[in-house]
Amino acid sequence: MVRSPTGPAADEAPRERVLVTRRLCKSYRTGHIIQGRRPALVDLDLEVLRGEILGYVGANGSGKTTTFKILMGLLKPDGGEVTILGAPLASRAWRQRAGYLPEHPYLYDYLTASEYLDYCGRLFGLGRETRRERARELLSLVGLERSADIPMRRFSKGMLQRAGLAQALVNDPELLFLDEPMSGLDPVGRRLVRDLILAQRSAGKTVLFSTHILSDAETLCDRVAVLRGGRLLSVGPLGELLKLDVTHLELLVSGVAAGAPGLEAASRAEAVGDRLRLLVEEGSLGRVVTAVEAAGGRVLGVQPVRRTLEDYFFEELGGAPQGAAARGAGAWGEG
Amino acid sequence: MGGRLSRTLAVAANTFRETVRERVLYNLVFFAILLTVAGLLLGQLSVRQDEKILKDIGLAAMDLFGTLIAVFIGTGLVSKEIERRSLYPLLAKPLSRGEFYLGKFAGLAFTLLVNLGAMLLGLLLTLLLTGRRPDPVLLGAVFPILLGLLLTVAFAMLFSSLTSATLAAVLTVSVVVVGRFADVIRGMRDVAPGVPPALVNALFAIVPNFSNFDFKSKVAYGDAVPAAVLGWTMLYAAAWIVVVLGLGLAAFRARDFK
Repeated sequence: MVRSPTGPAADEAPRERVLVTRRLCKSYRTGHIIQGRRPALVDLDLEVLRGEILGYVGANGSGKTTTFKILMGLLKPDGGEVTILGAPLASRAWRQRAGYLPEHPYLYDYLTASEYLDYCGRLFGLGRETRRERARELLSLVGLERSADIPMRRFSKGMLQRAGLAQALVNDPELLFLDEPMSGLDPVGRRLVRDLILAQRSAGKTVLFSTHILSDAETLCDRVAVLRGGRLLSVGPLGELLKLDVTHLELLVSGVAAGAPGLEAASRAEAVGDRLRLLVEEGSLGRVVTAVEAAGGRVLGVQPVRRTLEDYFFEELGGAPQGAAARGAGAWGEG
Repeated sequence: MGGRLSRTLAVAANTFRETVRERVLYNLVFFAILLTVAGLLLGQLSVRQDEKILKDIGLAAMDLFGTLIAVFIGTGLVSKEIERRSLYPLLAKPLSRGEFYLGKFAGLAFTLLVNLGAMLLGLLLTLLLTGRRPDPVLLGAVFPILLGLLLTVAFAMLFSSLTSATLAAVLTVSVVVVGRFADVIRGMRDVAPGVPPALVNALFAIVPNFSNFDFKSKVAYGDAVPAAVLGWTMLYAAAWIVVVLGLGLAAFRARDFK
């Protein structure tokens, strides 16, 4: 297990912690007559550093949304301490400087997107002109400028998600909490949200976002926190967590049979049409290439196989059908 | 303080906008039709008789429509926000649960005020157009109706903070119905002398007496409601509203939004 809650490497100057949780706990009541309690979050120690994108990853029911709801004051924790932007959880001072997008946001469908942003701006005490300008900017940013004056009851799920994102940014927050921000978005919308999150980091903002789409976390995050059954399984930079060193290579070869002499050095051989896909440990590469050439075959390509977050996730959580090496089998196209 | 007030007013303004856009004020159309039909039909009766009936119908309709809005919109004010999770992004902003709750109450209170105001105007116009005197004494009945409606909203919000919208509506209607017959509880002393007086007193004390807000018959006969009586009625309503809103707010603050 990798656990580096302080975040930055030893040679980096320590960065400000904008969110700190210590032994944060929450359990839900179960049963009606005989009541018990089901733990949803157990002793969560988490730190988010200024300017980073921290991915909060876990399966459904692992406690991601519970964490967000506690931080947003929607759930009361059973115990533990939380400090956000230097203020205690109960304080409302930090809320002026934070933004939140809930999972599957429901926004008032009788309002237009402009009206909703105006309403949100009023809650932050923004002046009328500032609100109008901010709404225009944000709707343009999330690609809803043409739908600004349409009641949101006519919005698609993706449009609602974009409007939800806009409301989270209405106060130009320095800390952004996004609960499954890619949910319900088409590829264009996902790209837009991804770019937006990256733009926030470029502007020096901090983003904590939860996702079960691991490729999103891989693409965006500086660090990843993995949650399982309400417990923090590991947290750290992606490279450290995934051990990004290349350990295996994938070879696509032609003109050679799987049983050819010397190919037993490959960890796995799989026929793909009239070609052969070989998974080879880095140290055996030379031997396998020589064997392919000796058998009259040709090496069409070599590709490093890295462990992905998905591999890590499944391996740590158990029940994964395949590890990194085996997963590499899908890396090649048919051509 | 300014920030608190401005956030509460923002919620109130949005609640009012919601009720307008959800066509709550369409009940005014029914009210107008009712008065027009009543005005036409009552033309056959003597002047004094039809004026009283017209006022009776108008005031009763104000009370009925207002109560329906107070119960069914009031119970949805909080529970709908919780069920649809629309309050999640709002409570993450610098908006306290208290500001949200009071803003919701104020928004619906304003809707009821506008609604009653429009209906009163309609009644006065009907009286004028049918050759009767538009009597300002009517205000003496309309103001207590508004107070009763505000108390109904407070109960509706209290129950919807504790349970589902449907059950909250049932409970609110129960309180209003029992409250309108609160005098019957007091009369139990005479009807059933075996019941311990302490129990009768306790029952009478925990049920708001909605008949205290009913001056319709008095006003329909053209009698003015004395200012002192209106003052006491207002104090009675204010005390109940503060208590019920306080209880509702405590329940809303204690809730987990799963």
